[in-house]
Amino acid sequence: MTVHAEAHSFDPAPVATLEFWGRTAEERETTFKELRDERPVSWHPPLEGNLLPLEKDGIWIVVRHADVVSVSKDWETFSSAQGVTMEEMPEDMAAAASSFLGMDPPRHTRLRRLVSSAFTPKQVKKIDDQINNQARRIVDDLLDVGDCDFVAQVSKRLPMWTIFEMLGVPQELREEGYRAADGMVAYLDEDAAAGQDALTFQMNALMTLLNIGVELAEERRARPTSDLMTNLVQAEVDGERLTDEEIGAFFVLLSVAGNDTTRNTTSLTMKALCDFPDQRKLLLEDYDGRITTAIEEFVRWATPVQTFRRTVTRDTELNGQKLHGGDWVVTVFASANRDERVFDDPHAFNILRSPNPHVAFGGGGPHYCLGNMLAKTQLRHLFKELLFRVKDIEVGAPTYLTSHFIRGVRAMPCTFTR
Amino acid sequence: MRIVVDRNKCTGLGICESLAPDHFEVNDEGALVVLRDSVSEDELDAVQQAVEGCPTEALRLEN
Repeated sequence: MTVHAEAHSFDPAPVATLEFWGRTAEERETTFKELRDERPVSWHPPLEGNLLPLEKDGIWIVVRHADVVSVSKDWETFSSAQGVTMEEMPEDMAAAASSFLGMDPPRHTRLRRLVSSAFTPKQVKKIDDQINNQARRIVDDLLDVGDCDFVAQVSKRLPMWTIFEMLGVPQELREEGYRAADGMVAYLDEDAAAGQDALTFQMNALMTLLNIGVELAEERRARPTSDLMTNLVQAEVDGERLTDEEIGAFFVLLSVAGNDTTRNTTSLTMKALCDFPDQRKLLLEDYDGRITTAIEEFVRWATPVQTFRRTVTRDTELNGQKLHGGDWVVTVFASANRDERVFDDPHAFNILRSPNPHVAFGGGGPHYCLGNMLAKTQLRHLFKELLFRVKDIEVGAPTYLTSHFIRGVRAMPCTFTR
Repeated sequence: MRIVVDRNKCTGLGICESLAPDHFEVNDEGALVVLRDSVSEDELDAVQQAVEGCPTEALRLEN
């Protein structure tokens, strides 16, 4: 139990309730704006509905862009090694679910490099055609099906297809893998969990993914190919091969990080392009010339990863608040990306916004999104197909996932002229 | 001007390569290779963007 020298009283903003994270992002933004203006580093009770009861007397919520960036960069003071979500989870579960995301340098650096070599500009360029073909086939299928749920028919498909292709997951395991990857972030959502308690539901999803990862690793040890899983089973860190647990955790991390991010950015961008027709027109006028700048705005707008958590390693101060070793600090990317101190007219979707120093790929530092270039390639190809081939595509009202971690769109109807 | 890399901070993301491909390349092992560490006047703009664009603050320019 963290004991504070000064007695803190809890902030009145309801950030630590499940009800809050079941609201829409626009509703949450009203609260974040108030916090940004008046109480940029605020003290809240532990999140209700924890997977495990939290042995802390409270958590810090950090909402301004500048503070989110400084916490993200200073990994020595704000450690990832004790978990990265705003909920306590069993230690073995956290390790199995987060791999190098839940580590600090130097171990983080060594493990991350094993995967990062598959995400370099040259490697992403090599699979550019593959991603382009996948995007084209997804839109072919959409055109065949007609009006439908955009999430199921479009957003969901590309990210996992790309990642499972990179890892070399065989076709017969993919459907199961997709469902489990979904379950990893949907555990707080009552509809998704369908009567199971959050811990059981998430544990089942985790075990499914771990098993697929370990099974694939065994297969690649026996019959190496040129995919990422083969690299992982052959890699050595400090003279030692990776264990099944480590490879399984890699697999889980890539499946989760490569799934929800691009998928929800796709849904939320499609909605934004319908809500802001002038911006859609601007983009269509010069797609190739404007898409690079526009994608930065797509990810700022969507901010699919809403929060990360760090643990304070030594007494320090942040924007006037005294933090103590052991304290939990939650950085709210969703708020930082609407910070009027940094972005002019932050609630306008502006595809020409430049500079656009958003923190949707992280606030900088060692955990900056490994897949950022892959994500941009996916979005570039997919929206080109969608906007030029699907006549008059429009989307209706989305339904959202309840989650403090991922800003998720569960379903969103779409219509177009056939 | 010369490019200096802090190897403890670099994670091999390759954002520098995408901004200044004449100077930076991430190799197949995921390590950053500085192709040329000297920067001429007309290359300065691109290299400066790469330095400022590095999310891990691993790059700087020295006289």
